Amino acid sequence: MSLLKPFSKLPGLNSANILLVESEEQFQQSLADALVEETTFTVNVRLAKSLPLPVENEESRPRIDLVVFIINLTSELSLQSAEASLKCLDPGYFLGKVCFMVTNARSAAAPVERLDVARKLAASLHCPLLFAEDQTPDGVTNATERLLTILKVAAGLVPMATALYLSNLTRSTVPPDIEQPSFN
Amino acid sequence: MERHRNSVTSKSKSYRMSYRSSLGAAASRLGLTPALTGRRLDTRRRAPKSHNITEKVNPEQLALLTKTEWQLSYVTPLYRFRHTQLKSYSGQLSAFIAAGKQQGLAVEVFDPQTAFRVSFSVVQGMTESDDDADTVLIQIHSKPLFARQDEPQKTVWSGLLTCVNANPEYLRSLPEYFICLPLFGSSGAEGLTALVKSWFQQSFDCCFGPLEISHTSLQWLMALWTNCHTESSIQHLKMIWTLPAVPPLQVTYTVNPEDAWELWSSVRKTRDKRGGEEEENCIDIEEVTSFMQGLKSHFYRHFKLDLSAGSLNQVSTALGSAKSSGRMKISNSRYMITTLALLTECALFKMPI
Repeated sequence: MSLLKPFSKLPGLNSANILLVESEEQFQQSLADALVEETTFTVNVRLAKSLPLPVENEESRPRIDLVVFIINLTSELSLQSAEASLKCLDPGYFLGKVCFMVTNARSAAAPVERLDVARKLAASLHCPLLFAEDQTPDGVTNATERLLTILKVAAGLVPMATALYLSNLTRSTVPPDIEQPSFN
Repeated sequence: MERHRNSVTSKSKSYRMSYRSSLGAAASRLGLTPALTGRRLDTRRRAPKSHNITEKVNPEQLALLTKTEWQLSYVTPLYRFRHTQLKSYSGQLSAFIAAGKQQGLAVEVFDPQTAFRVSFSVVQGMTESDDDADTVLIQIHSKPLFARQDEPQKTVWSGLLTCVNANPEYLRSLPEYFICLPLFGSSGAEGLTALVKSWFQQSFDCCFGPLEISHTSLQWLMALWTNCHTESSIQHLKMIWTLPAVPPLQVTYTVNPEDAWELWSSVRKTRDKRGGEEEENCIDIEEVTSFMQGLKSHFYRHFKLDLSAGSLNQVSTALGSAKSSGRMKISNSRYMITTLALLTECALFKMPI
């Protein structure tokens, strides 16, 4: 099984490559359209449904700077697929080059327990957990801006800041009483 | 950037106390105030005991409770609601409804025959602990539009306000004169429901809100009902899922009760026995999820459709049915108390601070 490795290829000049992994393949389309609008540097967006990535593209694929897992909290399959895809990433990615993006967190159809699982997953891997709203163009724009901030650092385009350094500031934490029931 | 805010005002602290679990597992807070999102449902529950409430409860009221499908909402605590003043409340509510109907569409002429008669009644014998307030049943009777003079009035709307087995510390932490009846069920015309809710909001300074039954609660109901199969047969276990295909696919998954019972008992047997009779009566959330996982993988093996991609909309057995939109029907009076206790907990959980 081929792992996706972070440093096995050379970086491009003034460009960044981002991989959006989502099992529903919906939000990643609108997010990708908004991401390529960026003008100060070239953003290459690659989309995937799940990892591992097909072997045929191994040679032509550039170095991936940031892997974003998009999880839809209303579907249990989304969370399970993201967890399964995590196994196909080289551990070097978890030093600041992985990000979790969660949608529909406030929906009534999303049970609180699923959000807890996503939180614990992100906290155990020391990765940031972003909440996004995917139905309105404003929500897509906000999510894009936040991703670009992290992407710039992960691609090395920000002087004096590395992905590992940023991950110490952005990693998600789990509240200490997450296990305790309120009304016993 | 993910930062978790741990600031809680002192007012909300009284609403979020918890106590050590009944089994003695240490859950002492030691003054740690929980974060705003730190509210979780129970992970362990006692297996439902069948309460024979047919002796304690008025049979007419019981028939009403078991035959209606209730649309659930949560209610914040009521200010100065007295169980002794129900007659005056009935009068006030019928006047309010008459005024409301008149204010609305002026289609019908105000006729004393079609006037609404409201009756509030207390359902004795439904409370499990002394702290719970008694259940209140509200019925609105009126004559149908084209009725003859001597036809009796029929119930056009019924409502239910109940609190079963709520957290005693929470109940004691409420300020004076507040009564906690967090679960509200309504069955009947939407217009009447809205009128009743606005009357309650005006008279008792409370807030109503919709109570959806979450995926986890539906799983709990499924497991609790299947657990009762030995005592009273569930006759079938039916689930309705919606899958996000184009067009959306609705799957009705019916399981034979014996097969469901076999799966459930095998899930319970694989759990380590920690000894003690109380432990045997508790059901863990892991057992519930593995029960559900077993059903889903069976479905996948036959139809190659993963139900995790969809959402569970309805669970129904002979003991009752629950829909994720908040509609609930309890068909068997023996498990009324435990089902209402679970729903009370959901209502308290959903109540805003």
